Amino acid sequence: MKDSPQTADAYDLPHGRPPEGNNFAAIRAVTGFQLNRLMTKPRIAMGLVGALFPAAVMFAVIRTAPINRDMTVAMIYALIPEALCVLGLLVTMCPVVADELERGTWIHVTVRPGGRQSLLLGTFAAAVIWTGGVSLVSLMLTLLIAQPTQPIGLVVMFTVLIGISCIGRAALFAVPAVILPKRALIASVGVALVVEYFAGLLPAVVNQVTVSLRLRSLLVEWMAWRKDLPIEMTLFVDDYSAPVQIAAVCILVCILLTTAGFILNRRQFPPSVEN
Amino acid sequence: MNDSVIQIKNLVKEYKGSDGTIVRAVNNVSMSVAAGEIVGLLGANGAGKTTTLRMIATLLQPTSGHAQVCNHDSITDPVGVRQSLGYVSATTGVPDRLTARELLTSFGRLHGLEEDTIKDRLEWLITTLSLRDYIDRPAGRLSSGQRQRISLGRALVHNPPALVLDEPTNALDVVGSRDLLDTLDHLRESGHAILLSTHRLHEIEHRCDRFVIIDTGHIVAAGTRDELVGDSGELEDAFFHAIEKGAHT
Repeated sequence: MKDSPQTADAYDLPHGRPPEGNNFAAIRAVTGFQLNRLMTKPRIAMGLVGALFPAAVMFAVIRTAPINRDMTVAMIYALIPEALCVLGLLVTMCPVVADELERGTWIHVTVRPGGRQSLLLGTFAAAVIWTGGVSLVSLMLTLLIAQPTQPIGLVVMFTVLIGISCIGRAALFAVPAVILPKRALIASVGVALVVEYFAGLLPAVVNQVTVSLRLRSLLVEWMAWRKDLPIEMTLFVDDYSAPVQIAAVCILVCILLTTAGFILNRRQFPPSVEN
Repeated sequence: MNDSVIQIKNLVKEYKGSDGTIVRAVNNVSMSVAAGEIVGLLGANGAGKTTTLRMIATLLQPTSGHAQVCNHDSITDPVGVRQSLGYVSATTGVPDRLTARELLTSFGRLHGLEEDTIKDRLEWLITTLSLRDYIDRPAGRLSSGQRQRISLGRALVHNPPALVLDEPTNALDVVGSRDLLDTLDHLRESGHAILLSTHRLHEIEHRCDRFVIIDTGHIVAAGTRDELVGDSGELEDAFFHAIEKGAHT
């Protein structure tokens, strides 16, 4: 047997500490690891079904009666950045802790120096990439079927909306996933319904902390719908400019991920929980 | 600085039960492991072995007391502890779809190692743990022994001076167990401090330098094999004797 290139003494305090490590590489490693897990046949099939669903709905609608461009945009918005992104993130972000506990990998990941943060951020990145990818495929298929005018502009707009939806909602679902790992899916569905689709539609200050308000406001601004909106509908959108809306989502994401990271750092699971 | 690589002092862990009662899983446990030493932590299921090891590894926070690895305190410097420690558990958690090379590389990156360092470490692990024959085979096609060997590689990928193994031979047959324990002998020779928990006494009777017997969270006996066995002849007899004695005190 060959001797280890470094002896035990090399790690003793008087001889200096081992390197702090490359956090970005650690997050990238977890992202790759999680994406690899998502690339199984059942998950790919599930992604394809998810991607086909909005296109199928669009096909069914336009076969019944032709719809104008605004209606097409409204339908795509409801089906992809709202419904498909939320469903995709429920599947990919919620099991951030539960999956590791179930597969027996939790201890091996969290015993690493930045293991917990890397697990959170790596899974977040993988969830955004996978859901974003499925949503973009779905967007292309749906646009192909709907064939609206000026499709390039819609591709750009919806790509940004999908990106914001994925990043914002993945961060939102990270919080219940670390607080209630074994009930993360139910908790996240509850959060989606209560925060995103109830509080987000309340014409009150509380809707400022929702991603859905930002997405609706961006859609209304980029589609130049504001002046045509009925007065009662203006209560459900924000007046701020697009950069402010995007900045608000970024701040929200930072707060949610910091909160989730803080909680995750303190999570302890008795050995019985893993068995 | 002291000579012990792993040192725990008056370690206590309490859990709150579902009915609100406090359960003390580990009660005032103290022990140490020096470089080049294997210490066997013996106890029945539920004795507190895993909880003790997880407190050392910073996976659980002690209710009171201290755990140190290479003089890094598990509470005040958990990162230092994690950098100095490798952890192996009975459940390997090795994904079926990944090859050993992919897994070890991923965990090297997760540990923040540079790519060149990972390559060097991988080569060292392949040689030391005899992984060459199946390093590029998906783990789903490997035996339990081979998977546990990969798990050991994962714990050693950052070259830690201390190694904590929680019932590593549980899922292994006699060949796999002996193979793994032979490897631990070699690691001891290269200066690693090894703390190993098990309830399969016969396997490690002649492997460990010292033993600590734990029952219902307490240390009931500690010492070398000769010190524990005395005239009783077998470690197993000494184990039961220590547990009975502990129950009456």
